[in-house]
Amino acid sequence: MNFMIVRRAAVYLSLSIATFISIFPFYWMVVGATNESRDIVTGKSTIGTNLVANFQNLLAQVDLAQVFWNSAVVAIAATVLTLAVSSLAGYGFEIFRSRVRERIFQILLLLLSIPFAALMVPLFVMISRAHLSNTFTAVILPTVASIFIIFYFRQATKAFPGELRDAARVDGLKEWQIFLYVYLPSMRSTYAAATIIVFMTSWNNYLWPLIVLQTEDKKTITLVISSLTSAYTPDFGVILLSTVLATLPTLIIFFVLQRQFVQGMLGSVK
Amino acid sequence: MNWEEFMNLFASRWSRLLGTTMAGVGMLTATAVSASELTVWCWDPNFNIPAMTDAGARYTKDHPDTTFNVNNISQDDINQKLQTQLLAGVTDGLPDMVLIQDDNAQRFLQSFPGAFVPLSDSIDMTKFASYKVAAATYEGKSYSLPFDSGVGGLFYRSDYLEQAGYGADDLNDITWDQLIKIGTDVKEKTGHQLLSMDYNDDGMIIMMMQSTGQWYLKDGSEPNIVDNAALKASLEAFQKMAQAGLVKSITGWTDYTGSFTSGEVAAVPQGVWITGTIKSQPDQSGDWRVAPLPKLDGVDGATHYSNNGGSSWYVLASSEHTDEAVDFLKTVWAGDVDFYQGILVNQGAVGSLLAARDGDAYKASDDFFGGEPVWQNFSDWLSKVPSVNYGTFTPEARAAVQAQLPTIANGGNIDEALQAIDGQLRQQIQ
Repeated sequence: MNFMIVRRAAVYLSLSIATFISIFPFYWMVVGATNESRDIVTGKSTIGTNLVANFQNLLAQVDLAQVFWNSAVVAIAATVLTLAVSSLAGYGFEIFRSRVRERIFQILLLLLSIPFAALMVPLFVMISRAHLSNTFTAVILPTVASIFIIFYFRQATKAFPGELRDAARVDGLKEWQIFLYVYLPSMRSTYAAATIIVFMTSWNNYLWPLIVLQTEDKKTITLVISSLTSAYTPDFGVILLSTVLATLPTLIIFFVLQRQFVQGMLGSVK
Repeated sequence: MNWEEFMNLFASRWSRLLGTTMAGVGMLTATAVSASELTVWCWDPNFNIPAMTDAGARYTKDHPDTTFNVNNISQDDINQKLQTQLLAGVTDGLPDMVLIQDDNAQRFLQSFPGAFVPLSDSIDMTKFASYKVAAATYEGKSYSLPFDSGVGGLFYRSDYLEQAGYGADDLNDITWDQLIKIGTDVKEKTGHQLLSMDYNDDGMIIMMMQSTGQWYLKDGSEPNIVDNAALKASLEAFQKMAQAGLVKSITGWTDYTGSFTSGEVAAVPQGVWITGTIKSQPDQSGDWRVAPLPKLDGVDGATHYSNNGGSSWYVLASSEHTDEAVDFLKTVWAGDVDFYQGILVNQGAVGSLLAARDGDAYKASDDFFGGEPVWQNFSDWLSKVPSVNYGTFTPEARAAVQAQLPTIANGGNIDEALQAIDGQLRQQIQ
């Protein structure tokens, strides 16, 4: 009995510590957004009164509407296109198997291990020769065929019952109709999970937009936050406020799709 | 088929596919830029950005056709973008002018020959502090228009020192050993430690070392560590201070500035750009003074003059407006003394143009520093800072030194530390 209590206490204690570690940075970020830079520096960790002033300072430095519009265009377009292209590919790799395709898939998985920084320079040359430098297309295009998402959809497709396809075939559906009317609706939670992953990756993408976007009017939120940190004496209140604002869209997407996300990660098929 | 041809082929196919629809967008932005708009990349909205904006406005007044577009991009981002685009050999995204930190300049100059316009061809570089010009000189030509100086001084709390029986004269023309003696007395009498230091930042070490004309690298590329008497003496002085309990060890920039704005430590040996931070506490007005840096004991060529940090303007050779850019730098940055008074007053920026000291703002005394003519002093020291070759591996060398600072502070053997620094540096630059 005593042992059980100790065990429980230990479990709760370690969970509390883990919770604290994951929650505290968020708490610090939100609280920091309401404080003056000077207070943040001295470690003030209670809600302050400087939120409005921070917001005004941010607006004075940044065209917030434009920046959010840029980030939204990039993230939404990237999400829609990536899901369309990569889910088709993942489905195809799993359903229409052949030895050659298996080889191609293995090569793709190998490519996953090459860091982006190594591909950046040749990719930039390509984009620029195609006259796409400083366009959103240049930001979105290289992410559309995402190997990770292809892999993810292939794994999820393994749980897609062959009987459903057979039944659809008997009913006279063509292959693209099977994908669109049978596969897609039954994989909703997989799509939801992929939406969160792709949207978050795209929204938070930093290195590639940094290289390929050149003018102020094209900057996405990550680039703007980076430029806010450029001063020799940074205004931490403004930086943390912009970080809070930048976190909101991904948080909203996550909470809206949370249930499906968990199911999607578990690989269930409805 | 070589790589270049392959890329061309691929790109041209691709552009036919996509270019027809998308190129229109790209072209649109390209033509929207007015024929004489100069784009500048720099990074601090309180410092170099307003300075450049002011310079631009002065030029536009006499040359209405030339306007300026000053972009705020962080220093790391600038390095990343420049490096990728120069490496890719694609220049359409590059600005006309860019700000580069001095100790990072040789890396760009040597890695990308021809990427920058040699400004010494058209601008008289003797007008500027010679060590700033040397930082951007490669194969006989100088490529930068020297901007802000990091000329060093010893900022100190005269009230604390007074309590320990020391006056301003006791800090003029002293050595680090003498400062350690003063610091020990101050700590005994007032409880304040002498100075604060982040052991992840070797700023104080490089100031000590450069004051003798030595650097971590010989000729810019060969490690100059084990036989570097100046470096050894610097590390010894640092160790003595740490062992005597005079160094408050702090972590990060905010802790660092907090340690003296709060009145905790008695002195700040630092580049002139720290002035603004020190003056951010109006209630301490009159308590501060600035002395020349102490000299290293027993090292050849030791002086009271050194530098920490600072950056300079570069014109990219790929710019379509290099003539205008050079003329702009020559007219305003290399000629307008009045302009330098403005950026000194408004941004606290000490430029590198030696003639700037003849302006009114430079001659003014500052009550915050007890009525001392601090700017005249700094500009005196500025002209005497020994030149060093920062070379291409300064960041690697600094990292290697920083790795040993905690051990040295704790009383570790300096010769062993030098060996370890040398080893790490050689490994990094292989």
